[in-house]
Amino acid sequence: MGVATESAAEPGGTRSLAPARGRALSGYLYLLPYLILFGVFLVLPLLYGLGLSLFRWDMLSTVPARFIGTGNYSEALGSAYFWKALGATFRFVVMAVPLTILLGLLIAVGIEAVPVRRQALYRAAYFLPTLITVTVAGLLWRWFFNSEFGLFNALLAPLGIKVPWLTDTAWAMRSVVIMTLWWTVGGPVVIFLAGLQQIPSHYHEAAALDGANGWQRFRHITLPLLRPVMVFVVIMNVIGAFQVFGQTFMITQGGPELSTRVLVQYIYETAFNNYRMGYAAAMSWLLFALIAGFSLAQVRLLRER
Amino acid sequence: MRSAARHPGRERGEMSVSRRAFLTGLALPALLAPGCRRSGSRQTTLRFWNGFTGPDGITMLRIVRRFNAQNPDVNVLVQRTDWATYYNKLFVAGLFGRAPEVFVLHASNILRFARARFLHPVDDLISGPDGLDSHDFDANVWQEVEVDGRHYGVPLDVHILGMYFNRQLFRQAGIQSPPAERAGFLEALRRLTRHPAGGPDQWGFVFTNLSSNVYTVMRQYGGAFFTEDFGRCVMNDARNVAALQFCVDLIRRERVAPPPESFDAWVGFLQGKVATAFEGIYMLADLQKQTELDFGGAPVPQIGPEPAVWANSHTLCLRAGMSGAELQAAWRFVRYLSNNSLDWAAGGQIPVRKSLRQTARFHAMPIQSAFARQIPYVSYLPRVTFTFEFQDELNTAIEKALRGSASPQQALDTATANVNAVIARESKSV
Repeated sequence: MGVATESAAEPGGTRSLAPARGRALSGYLYLLPYLILFGVFLVLPLLYGLGLSLFRWDMLSTVPARFIGTGNYSEALGSAYFWKALGATFRFVVMAVPLTILLGLLIAVGIEAVPVRRQALYRAAYFLPTLITVTVAGLLWRWFFNSEFGLFNALLAPLGIKVPWLTDTAWAMRSVVIMTLWWTVGGPVVIFLAGLQQIPSHYHEAAALDGANGWQRFRHITLPLLRPVMVFVVIMNVIGAFQVFGQTFMITQGGPELSTRVLVQYIYETAFNNYRMGYAAAMSWLLFALIAGFSLAQVRLLRER
Repeated sequence: MRSAARHPGRERGEMSVSRRAFLTGLALPALLAPGCRRSGSRQTTLRFWNGFTGPDGITMLRIVRRFNAQNPDVNVLVQRTDWATYYNKLFVAGLFGRAPEVFVLHASNILRFARARFLHPVDDLISGPDGLDSHDFDANVWQEVEVDGRHYGVPLDVHILGMYFNRQLFRQAGIQSPPAERAGFLEALRRLTRHPAGGPDQWGFVFTNLSSNVYTVMRQYGGAFFTEDFGRCVMNDARNVAALQFCVDLIRRERVAPPPESFDAWVGFLQGKVATAFEGIYMLADLQKQTELDFGGAPVPQIGPEPAVWANSHTLCLRAGMSGAELQAAWRFVRYLSNNSLDWAAGGQIPVRKSLRQTARFHAMPIQSAFARQIPYVSYLPRVTFTFEFQDELNTAIEKALRGSASPQQALDTATANVNAVIARESKSV
């Protein structure tokens, strides 16, 4: 409908106000079903959570909820467990995001180089793990990682290497990141591949005629033209990585010694094991603010100059 | 999963609800319902929630189906949810007045649910005309469901820790019978551990569930966790420190147990690479699936000066605020489950009723009856409303000590300080 209006208005060159208003209205009408769901299931709970974060509400206690202002926020900022959990989250983000992007880009470039007929097969192969639920993937990898009886150490045994995959506080998060790479790299691969295929081939042909080698073409044609896709992938990955929970919960349960207990797990435990709803809501909002801040900074930094 | 490995209060081996098992759970009683309505009288529907998502769930369904068939005026609908999320659901349902009529709680959770006024006391029903003999429960178990002079549930079983051992490895090491005390236990573990050149390939013992294992030893040393009035945590009691040191020594000094990993250490026992493990009776069903494993069960050896062993109980609870026909039907169902808990035991549990444990049928269950010998001295986790926070601190302290990143004293000092901070916070809210 909207498209029809537009194409009808354009040939005349004179856009009257009325169709434009009609266009806007119909646009909003199209959006309405989504907006209602978005509002009811996302915005309202979010605001409810914000209100909740200002109360002390221990669901188990028969004492009614009490307004304590920013008390929950100051408790979080003064809690060693909060900072430890945040630290674990950061370690995951710093390791997982760059590796996922690099590996995703590498695989996408590789797939683009094979004949088109076979691309679909590779794309599907790399995307397949993404379709597995975190429960199954986590369970599987926990067995792979088991240092005494697991697959990886059995494979490494002939070399005389025994990696403490999940038993060492330094290694555990690395192991989670390795599993995450396998599990999630398919998403960026598919998006990068789509981005690569959008780059007109005559740019490359022209550059090749001018004597540019493969790396130069990648560096000066592919990468700049991939920028919008890159911005999208980086931001989505950072947002996702900050909310890491399923992998650590399944593979390490936060251990050893809480070294992989990420913030979302701590929030989950606070809310659903200890029923401290206000405190959990406050920590959720701190995480939200952090993610929002990072995302805005990235948009600014990566936006086309 | 997580709760499984970190909270001994919930069993392991029940990893996830398969969709089909879940649907069957809902559908079976419903299928029976039309047949029951023939009686013409009004039917009472009861919802029964539990976390029995493993083989135990099938056993429970069978019992419920029989109850439904024998009681045409009652229709019990079973809903099974994995323990890891069960309490969240139950709690939220209860909070908004939609709690099921009958549900299972672990005894360690009775206090917090009773304080939140979710539970109907069962004292009048027990002593009523269709009651139960409360003396048929072991006193130490019966007292676990009591809060402020009232009892808030009917214990169904005692899931107790015991020592599983690999008979074949015992034979190879020339050990005739499972060790029952400290010196014999240590001697056996030394003989059962093999460290050839390429590294150890057989361990005498493995810590599968850190807290239930170490808690057992701590209780055997007579360690306290709280002052009498629960006003202060005293977890860094010298006896607890000594008990924890014993456990650390099994790994570091004696080298008869591997450093703690995760629950998957249990796989080592299943594979026959580990000779003994302290695990719950609920792991029996898992073991019985290993046809090649020749295993036995025995009481946990007495390592400290007092006999003690970790346990918990599944307890049948009634929703607060029921009355009339609904309450009567719910009670009839609870009573039926209790009276038929030998069927429950057959699936890898130990019934709480003394009279049932004296039957020939129970004696014919070797592992169950071996573990059941420990019931007179079972030790439940301390009853505090902040039970998960307490368990997390205990777990972390044990983990640090066993992994060698803190001394037992340091680890327990830290945990004690943290739990005392929780007590201070909790006392402010009242």
